[in-house]
Amino acid sequence: MLFQLLIDSFSLGSFYALIALGFSLIFGVTHTFNLAHGELILLSGYLAYVLGKYFSIPFLFTLPICMLALVFVAMLLHQLLRQVKEPFELNSLVVTFGLALVLQNAMLFFFSANYRLIHVPPVPPLELPNLHLFITQTQFILVGLSLLVTGSIYLLWRKTFLGKALRATIQDREAARLAGINVEHMSLMAFILGGMLIGLAGPLYAQREYLHPFGGMEATLIGVIITIFAGVGRIRGILLGGWILGGVESVTVFFLGANWRELVSALVLIMLIVVRPAGVLSKRAKSERWR
Amino acid sequence: MNKPGHPSFLILAVTFALIAWAAFLTGSGIHYRVLGMACFYGALALSWNIFALTGAISLGHAAFFGLGAYGSALFCQYWHWSPYITIFLGGTVGCIYGFLWHLTFRKLRGAAFALATLASVEIPKVTIDNWDRLTSGSLGLVGIARLPPVNLGSITFDVDENLQAQCFFLLMFALVVIYIHFKAMSSKWGWAIRSVREDEIAASTIGVDVPGIRLRALCVSAYLTGLCGAVYAHLMGSIEPALVFSLHFSALPLVLSIFGGRYQALGPFLGALILYPADQLLFHSWFPAGHAAFYGLVMVITILFFPHGIGEWVQQKTKSA
Repeated sequence: MLFQLLIDSFSLGSFYALIALGFSLIFGVTHTFNLAHGELILLSGYLAYVLGKYFSIPFLFTLPICMLALVFVAMLLHQLLRQVKEPFELNSLVVTFGLALVLQNAMLFFFSANYRLIHVPPVPPLELPNLHLFITQTQFILVGLSLLVTGSIYLLWRKTFLGKALRATIQDREAARLAGINVEHMSLMAFILGGMLIGLAGPLYAQREYLHPFGGMEATLIGVIITIFAGVGRIRGILLGGWILGGVESVTVFFLGANWRELVSALVLIMLIVVRPAGVLSKRAKSERWR
Repeated sequence: MNKPGHPSFLILAVTFALIAWAAFLTGSGIHYRVLGMACFYGALALSWNIFALTGAISLGHAAFFGLGAYGSALFCQYWHWSPYITIFLGGTVGCIYGFLWHLTFRKLRGAAFALATLASVEIPKVTIDNWDRLTSGSLGLVGIARLPPVNLGSITFDVDENLQAQCFFLLMFALVVIYIHFKAMSSKWGWAIRSVREDEIAASTIGVDVPGIRLRALCVSAYLTGLCGAVYAHLMGSIEPALVFSLHFSALPLVLSIFGGRYQALGPFLGALILYPADQLLFHSWFPAGHAAFYGLVMVITILFFPHGIGEWVQQKTKSA
């Protein structure tokens, strides 16, 4: 039983890390508080649903299409947010909050309030011998893709010049500009990468949980929680945060029931914001950004 | 932003909007209903704005709204008190939660504060959702006592049945909130709020009690929002957690206030008088599902093009012309 719980938390946590990675990238590089993050994930999920259902495209082929589409959407969002005036952080929060409302209602209009799920062809869960442990195919895809993508972003982050430039922009925009980095391009890059991650997370979400037009805020909160836990631009921290949050939620669901899950993530978020707004794993005491 | 808002233009605009409305009020019930609800949402927006005047954007006023609605409905159901008493108890419940916000979030500003408030809606929502024995859980409360008729001398105001009387009642309610909101801008307390918004450190050096001012604004705002929630519960007759704690009631006051002008005495009310009827009478008939996208769109457009609200925007245009 304990091991089953561990496997569930591990798969859930890896997926949470994927959700948070997109949010964290965009927030870190551009200081945009994207409250429409969850809605964008849902949008991508619905796109995959439509592609799978009406055009009968196999699930794995919908992933690149969704990623491409969401990159486009994220670039549009970047263009929109460039128009926002000071104070940028609060205004971007309000604008994306408005955008979240628009997206929610647009999805309600186009896809109705019915719950949707991408059905993957049933494959009997893999049972580990003698242990009574089950790993479903969904979990396998979820963990595999999440870790693969997080790993490749990590390599990009650490080993390429682009990653270095992005990190520099996160640390200090002005200094990065002085060092000859085009901060505007880096913002665009962050939105493109973030859009790819969102586009990937959507179909995975739709295959794991039911899609509902108003379900996006939960995913946004997950992104925010893990980003605050890890501090911006810390990929290993995000992965750790995802696993911890996945573990906490799995344990809550196991002992208290699924109804209390949202409460736990909300409480965790409030505690994190109140206690360590600059990130629990971050070495700096308190970032100016939050003041 | 440093100067007090010019209410003269807005008073004119609001009076004009009300008179324009009077032209519609020819017996057909729906127009009374929409005007009444516009006043109601105007009051909600003003209540939200009283706290927003201190410079903090709250995304979680639905918590006060829902707690007020549930507080009043439960007092009514278990002790059979008159709704006119329990409404105020509902407001008190909201106010207590506001005090808790103050205790927990008093060091947070800006985006961190907004996020914390957004998450804090989940606490009462999930608790009420799961406390089946007291609140009948996610099924919600049905058959909440309606507002009984009021007798003033020989005239009877049947607030529940007669839409005309209901519209009048909600207008009166809005006027009371307008008065408090006006005080929150132009009394000594109002000037203190303004100084806190512009520069907290400077305000505290000239002797403004910054935490106290914020606490008072938050408590008044939470109380009035709870009051709105309670009125809503008795007007609608049935509530459920997913409804009264929904994002809608956090977002709507924000949209109406920003659109109407956050730093003007009648701005949020004007926003409600313009936007709510536009939504209900136009967009609702065009897109029955998803008409609330309108509010999101207005929010984005307002922040991008006239962040100080429609009132100031029109004023600037007319001044420069």
